[in-house]
Amino acid sequence: MSRKAEYTDKAMAPEAVVSAIRERLGDAVEVVELKDRKAGSNDAVCFHDLWLRCPKDKFLELLDILFELDFPLFHVMSGNDEGEAVLLNYHFSLFQGSGRGSRLGVAVSVYLPKDDLAMPSIQDRIPGAEYSEREMREMLGINFMGMPDESLVFLPEDWDERVKPWRRDEAGPKPEQIRELS
Amino acid sequence: MAVGEAKTYKIPIGPVHVGLKEPITTWLEVDGERIVDIKVRPGAIHRGIEFMARERNPIQVIYLAERICGICSFAHIESFVRAVEDAASISVPKRAQYIRTIMLELERVHSHILWAGVACYTFGYDSAFNLGLLLREKVMDVLEAMSGNRVNYGVGTIGGVRRDITPEVAAALEDLIDYYRREFAAFYEVATEDPITKARMRHVGTLPPEDAVRYCAVGPTARASGLRVDLRWSSPYEAYADIEVTPIVPQDYMGEVYGDVFDRFLVRVLEVYQSLDIIEKALLGLPKGPLMAEPKLPKLLALLKAADGVGWSSIEAPRGDDAHVIKLTKGDENVTWWKVRAPTYANIVSWPIMFRGQEIADAPLIVNSIDPCISCMERALVVDKKSGSSEVLTKEELLKRSREKTRRLMGR
Repeated sequence: MSRKAEYTDKAMAPEAVVSAIRERLGDAVEVVELKDRKAGSNDAVCFHDLWLRCPKDKFLELLDILFELDFPLFHVMSGNDEGEAVLLNYHFSLFQGSGRGSRLGVAVSVYLPKDDLAMPSIQDRIPGAEYSEREMREMLGINFMGMPDESLVFLPEDWDERVKPWRRDEAGPKPEQIRELS
Repeated sequence: MAVGEAKTYKIPIGPVHVGLKEPITTWLEVDGERIVDIKVRPGAIHRGIEFMARERNPIQVIYLAERICGICSFAHIESFVRAVEDAASISVPKRAQYIRTIMLELERVHSHILWAGVACYTFGYDSAFNLGLLLREKVMDVLEAMSGNRVNYGVGTIGGVRRDITPEVAAALEDLIDYYRREFAAFYEVATEDPITKARMRHVGTLPPEDAVRYCAVGPTARASGLRVDLRWSSPYEAYADIEVTPIVPQDYMGEVYGDVFDRFLVRVLEVYQSLDIIEKALLGLPKGPLMAEPKLPKLLALLKAADGVGWSSIEAPRGDDAHVIKLTKGDENVTWWKVRAPTYANIVSWPIMFRGQEIADAPLIVNSIDPCISCMERALVVDKKSGSSEVLTKEELLKRSREKTRRLMGR
């Protein structure tokens, strides 16, 4: 994907973004919610958040669509061990350089089954995702295929890498490894 | 460099170093005086805050969020409570929105002045450093008058604020605006006119705009590279919906943009004036009304227990975009999961770009130029009990030893 690394000054309406995604990916990507975010003394709608759910194999395609609209600012990845699967949320922003009130937050949820905890790395497209990918790898045990640096980022040097601190199953920390603060 | 084959050497800066305010390790690969590459290794003060939040309810997590960072503690609260309000669909009274905005801007004034002072200290301009610390006292005094604390103000809560702006505090705020407009000019001169400052900061640690975009730089770091980005502008929240804020970029003031340490200095200094204007406008327009959506804590907790959803908030903290994401599950009193992304976490990824080709002597200045807040960036986790028994002292042991020493000194 070659997009010039700059933020567009032409914002699109959130509904237009939704239809651009629908047009290309149809029902594969589920639009969970388009939130109006209000503030101020008139309770005016100031910006929008778009929550999407995407199957793993369509994720890069979805990211390419976002790249056609603007260079997406990658905020962070959040995640959780949901039992059968691990949930990964990618948080992006579109149109944050396009004018007052034009930003559209785009959160993409991907569920990864426990027997295949792998995602394609997006560092070739967005190098700024490096720390998040490394963090999710060490905390939740997700393998990002093609990431250049797989070393630990926040955990200590002598950490037992089999222990994934944010997992809630047998891969997570044992009760005796957690010190309760008094 | 020695005659013969080119050989590079590795020099560590940190985890503890005079040029650093907080512990982080950077391995510099140098060829003579020139930095060829750098490898950053954070993790020295990862405290497991997100993990700890799983066993606490959202009201308790406010106080955890506040302790992520000392300087931008309100920014973290603000982002956290906004995420909770998003998840539980709580709307905030108007007066509270304005008080939050004033707090955020006070914190920005505090953070930028402190940073500007420390930046001068880094290259040996100690009189400017002392001036910075002197100026900073005023905003801390006003914060103390308002909240009772000089750091960790305890002002924010879910659905509002806990402290009002009384007429006395309003008068102190007006006094603060006058004071800084008068006294901060000396700093402005340092930023724009002093030749030594310019010589040390110009063309040092440059981050080109396209790299700032690719590496997701945020806040003053991104603006100093000429990107017109500011969440107060692109996605107004709280009183910024009424008070227009435009991003401050060097090209609007100096005619050109370099994306170097000097531009980062300039952007921050100018933002202090911008913050003063915002505080003035917010004070003028301060609406009357309640401070909290739900003042009764048990009722609020019941409401939060019934809420189900994910909330996301990104706000413009002094150092840039501070993102919090939170999940509340219906019937569960505690926070299900929580993710914090402090601005340093985003800005530190571009360090290698800033460092390449620079001199070792500039390294601390470049490190400080993004205003790194390491304890912000590192939050999460568990402490291993095995090492705890032999190497890490527990609180009880420390207390015991401290008391023993006191007894020793008292001759008992």
